[in-house]
Amino acid sequence: MSEFFLELFSEEIPPKLQINARKKLFLEINNFFEDNNINIIGSKVSFSTPNRIIINFSNISKEVIKKAQEIKGPSVNSKPEALEGFLKSQNITKSQLNLKSTDKGEFYFYKKPEQKFKTQDLLKQNLPLILDKINWNKSMKWGNNQMFWGRPLKSILAVFEKKKIEFNFHHLKASNYTFVDKDFEEKTRNFDNFKSYQKYFKSIKIILDHDKRKEFIINELIKISKKNNLIIDFKENLLDEINNIVEKPKIILCEFDKKFLNIPKEILIITMQNHQKYIPTFDKKKILTNFFLVVSDSNDLKGYVKQGNERVIEARLNDAEFFWKRNKSQNLIKQLSDLKKINFFKGLGSYFDKTQRIKKLSSLISDELMISKEKIEIAASICKVDLKSDLVGEFPELQGIMGGYFAEAQGFEKEVCQSISEHYLPSGLDSKVPKNLYSITLSLSDKLDTLVGFFGLDLIPTGSRDPYALRRNAIALVRLIVENKIRIKLRSIINYSLTLYKEQGYEFDITKVLKELNNFILDRLKNYSKEKDIRSDIIESSILSNDIDKLYNGYKKAEILNRNINKEIGQDVVGIYKRSSNILNNEVTKNKLELSNSVDTGLFKNDFEKNLYKKIQDTKKYFFNVDKNDNFEDSLKELFKFKQDVNSFFDNVKVNDDNELIKKNRLELLNLLCKSFDNFFNFSKIEG
Amino acid sequence: MVSKKKTPKKKLLSFQDAILNLQKYWSKHGCIILQPYDLEVGAGTFHPATTLRSLGTKPWRTAYVQPSRRPSDGRYGDNPNRLQHYYQFQVLIKPSPDNIKKLYLNSLSSLGIKHDEHDIRFVEDDWESPTLGAAGLGWEVWCDGMEITQFTYFQQMAGIECKPVSVEITYGLERLCMFIQNKKNVFDLNWNDQGILYRDVFYQSEKEFSAYNFEYANTDNLFKIFDMLEDEAKTLTEKKLSLPAYDQCLKASHVFNILDSRGVISVAQRAEYIARIRELTKIIGKVWVESQI
Repeated sequence: MSEFFLELFSEEIPPKLQINARKKLFLEINNFFEDNNINIIGSKVSFSTPNRIIINFSNISKEVIKKAQEIKGPSVNSKPEALEGFLKSQNITKSQLNLKSTDKGEFYFYKKPEQKFKTQDLLKQNLPLILDKINWNKSMKWGNNQMFWGRPLKSILAVFEKKKIEFNFHHLKASNYTFVDKDFEEKTRNFDNFKSYQKYFKSIKIILDHDKRKEFIINELIKISKKNNLIIDFKENLLDEINNIVEKPKIILCEFDKKFLNIPKEILIITMQNHQKYIPTFDKKKILTNFFLVVSDSNDLKGYVKQGNERVIEARLNDAEFFWKRNKSQNLIKQLSDLKKINFFKGLGSYFDKTQRIKKLSSLISDELMISKEKIEIAASICKVDLKSDLVGEFPELQGIMGGYFAEAQGFEKEVCQSISEHYLPSGLDSKVPKNLYSITLSLSDKLDTLVGFFGLDLIPTGSRDPYALRRNAIALVRLIVENKIRIKLRSIINYSLTLYKEQGYEFDITKVLKELNNFILDRLKNYSKEKDIRSDIIESSILSNDIDKLYNGYKKAEILNRNINKEIGQDVVGIYKRSSNILNNEVTKNKLELSNSVDTGLFKNDFEKNLYKKIQDTKKYFFNVDKNDNFEDSLKELFKFKQDVNSFFDNVKVNDDNELIKKNRLELLNLLCKSFDNFFNFSKIEG
Repeated sequence: MVSKKKTPKKKLLSFQDAILNLQKYWSKHGCIILQPYDLEVGAGTFHPATTLRSLGTKPWRTAYVQPSRRPSDGRYGDNPNRLQHYYQFQVLIKPSPDNIKKLYLNSLSSLGIKHDEHDIRFVEDDWESPTLGAAGLGWEVWCDGMEITQFTYFQQMAGIECKPVSVEITYGLERLCMFIQNKKNVFDLNWNDQGILYRDVFYQSEKEFSAYNFEYANTDNLFKIFDMLEDEAKTLTEKKLSLPAYDQCLKASHVFNILDSRGVISVAQRAEYIARIRELTKIIGKVWVESQI
């Protein structure tokens, strides 16, 4: 049993490419061993640093035996070329063949004897093919070479059973050495086993195992932050990125001038995290501090690294402070007309046109949500002005947030500032949803305006592509409404939006936009429900009875039924409905009946009918009174109360009475019963 | 600044000495030292010694300083980090040598930046120039968190695949010197060792050109000039004169940059102008490559 060990040394490969390549290589090598039935008892590992991708499999059998097998060749009657080809492919002569008759005629056969392969030889043959299987999302060529790799590949170290595996891979020749310094590539070193390789890199403080490296970074970060009474808000993406651009991490505590803490914290955090890959820190009250942590790949012998990074952040924050001071005092109202110069989208006018539209949309929604029309109109007018600012030019991801800060600095009311700040939210499935009614109104108006405009231009997303982020907008719309329990009639707002576009000279096919946007939004509600593990038949049923004017009700009812569907109450409600509607539908179709939707109480023959009828009347009253109540759990309970009367009815009354009038009257009774259930929603599509 | 500053004993490298050292270093490593191209360009990459010479199969090694203009980056001399006119030091080697990282790191030593005293990092940065129809893969090099160099393996230039591949190293001289001289404001850089500052050389120019780029450039004329230059370039490519054609293309590109900084080019127009310049570059690249056989 022996060990296989591979190292690919290259110039710095970016984190994502590096991780993909490592995983793919591990998978391909593992497949290779499995496909060739090569037995492995030991461990299988793969590591990577920016410059090295490492694979190590241990306790591998040195030989593999391929059992004897009979291989069918060409027919005796086929052309001589076919036979030649077969002999060549098997590397044999004609004398080694047998003739055998089959039901399709006489064929050549070759009895291939049992074969022994050396794992070493198989590796040698297959490694070049395996390496070529790495599919880089982005790859490059260099020098005069024809090879594609993530970044220039410099050496291949391949060892099996302490011996190098010699193979050629494009212009490179695999060997048993690697470059030990990644930058100058001056010193090389031979390794014939993984243990000595690991030991060597450990001795020069390089952590090859990416998981251990990450663990080390996290532990160091915690240690240093604790010591300094600081708190870190760990961001997994940032950590992963940092982890994969260093090999011997060293954490350095740095600080910037406290005066910069007067700049909006979002600017500071983005500058640190996104631009410099630093880790910001917070105090016990979760307030940002002027300390930050740098994960360096150097030991900072002379303190230059700390000093340099502090200078970089200072330069960047100076820039930001300069812009902040300038932008915050630029009068938002006076800059409104500048928005005319920024195109929103070809065929949908400028951002000025857009804000005019969302101002009116917000105004309409404000009536429904009972918030101040004056305030929301101001917020809508100025919500896009920050697009003109230097800061949003520098930090596009802070659009809206900066607008909120500018408004605050200029003394606008709290609701105005907050709604501007939050009007792009929610921006993704995990993003925060605004709770403030002003923010909700502004966000809804902005998103509806965008959706209506793009649907008007017939730029509806198809397939998985969504270049104008319309799916994201519609999902945001659904979340704003559902998660805030907002009841607004979207159809009338969409209609109004179309009118506003028309007033500006953009005329769209109203019926088409309404229909397609309606379906689009309902599709998003279905996706959203799916994310929340709601059964698809339940949400489908709910949508049938609740259109986009009742998005919240539609979702909530589905959610409640979904929660109860496997309990007695859910099973019974669906069961009662199904039993009644099945009989009703069968009889109505069979006898081609036309129902009048009314019952003749004079035709009742027993108390079971009377009781059921009374229950239906009671339920009708209940739903009439609680129509606007959102306690749908109670609604379900109300329907559950039918259980006894319905069961007694079916147990004791024969619907198919010989008297046609009585029979019809009983079917009318069942029809009313089903209609009572429709007060919740139409259960007909529910399975089981 | 909170951490204590160390005042190094040795004299800090002046701006002009940094240029001289880099020239000397790359000259020693076989690069021919060229002078800046005598037209307004946006970056060292636009010098024909990079764009055109990176095409075709003939080996090429050069290094030169290139004054570069980005009209919209002007700040009237008010901003400590931004200039509409600045210097790049450009190295282009075709084919890219195997030991290029070592060569580059040693060039930093020639500026007094010792590898083992700093955190030097190669951070992913893939480069694309829509106007040049060019793309490459590489890094921005960070020294203690500061970006000091662009390091790119050209894959495509003027819409043509690079065979062999050139490596381009672009030092931002102002930034690099701010790092070396420990200055927070670019205008405070020592130009030489005799008390002349960057401010003395360029402050007035930044002020006046910012006014020109943002306020006074005659846009009606510039739109006309752009069209004229484009026509001229096309005519010249028909005559198979790639170098004069490329000059017209560079001029057109600069005119476009001024129009852009004057804010008279809409988003849609922008894409159109960029496409027009790219088309020119592509034709010129083709004519050049044909002339190289």
